[in-house]
Amino acid sequence: MTTIDPRCDLTLERVIRAPRSTVWRAWTDPALLQRWWVPAPTIARIDRLEVQPGGAFVTRMSDDGRTFSAHTDSIFLVVEPQERLVFTNAIDSSWHPAAPAPVPMTAEIILREHPEGTDYRVVVRHGDPADRDRHEELGFFEGWGSVTNALAALAEGENAA
Amino acid sequence: MVFLMAKYGALDDVLVALADPTRRAVIRSLGAGPASVSQLAKSFPITLPSFMKHVHMLESSGLIETRKSGRVRTCTLNRDRLLLLDNWLDEQRALWEQRTDRLERLVTDHQENR
Repeated sequence: MTTIDPRCDLTLERVIRAPRSTVWRAWTDPALLQRWWVPAPTIARIDRLEVQPGGAFVTRMSDDGRTFSAHTDSIFLVVEPQERLVFTNAIDSSWHPAAPAPVPMTAEIILREHPEGTDYRVVVRHGDPADRDRHEELGFFEGWGSVTNALAALAEGENAA
Repeated sequence: MVFLMAKYGALDDVLVALADPTRRAVIRSLGAGPASVSQLAKSFPITLPSFMKHVHMLESSGLIETRKSGRVRTCTLNRDRLLLLDNWLDEQRALWEQRTDRLERLVTDHQENR
């Protein structure tokens, strides 16, 4: 259920010196989320933030505050108040299976109590970029990391030889 | 952000180009140094026109560059393109790290303001 594939997943852990309820609110209150979701000077607009399983999580972004382009179009999978949020862009907010570029991902946000505030963890699971090419040849692309390492080693090694 | 989209487009092209055994074999040979199309084609049991299709695809993905001199077309590996693949997960990590920095700043400021 919560396995991590180091080749294409990433994990992040941080102690945030604020109570869990505050961190939770920063994620689930559109006015707060809007303030940190994208890096300044880009402006985020939170179009939909329906914090419940199957609920839409849709954001747009803008560089000039006038023209907004698509940013996040995803749904929540799991919502455990003050504890866990899971959302994915592999299914869009209208529940259509999606093919976001470059690969789909599922983000899991985990909040736990910590003496100094909140033990904050993020796990982002990425689709194997080779999924789309599976019918062509499975063997070569064993994973995101391995393919690049293998290719780089190959190219460098043979160059040296 | 438009730049990001363009870059992901390029990444897609690279992935598609690499999703074929012939094209990967070409990349592998070019790792040893530039080679002409006819030299490369000799190693594959396919017709020259089919082989050229692979060469064009590799070229349009940016993985290789070709240059024609007289009747000889020489292919060169473009290593920077392979880096696109390598850098991607690092970028995702940076994106989430920075996002967490901003969240942290917001919620800790929030605390002090109360």
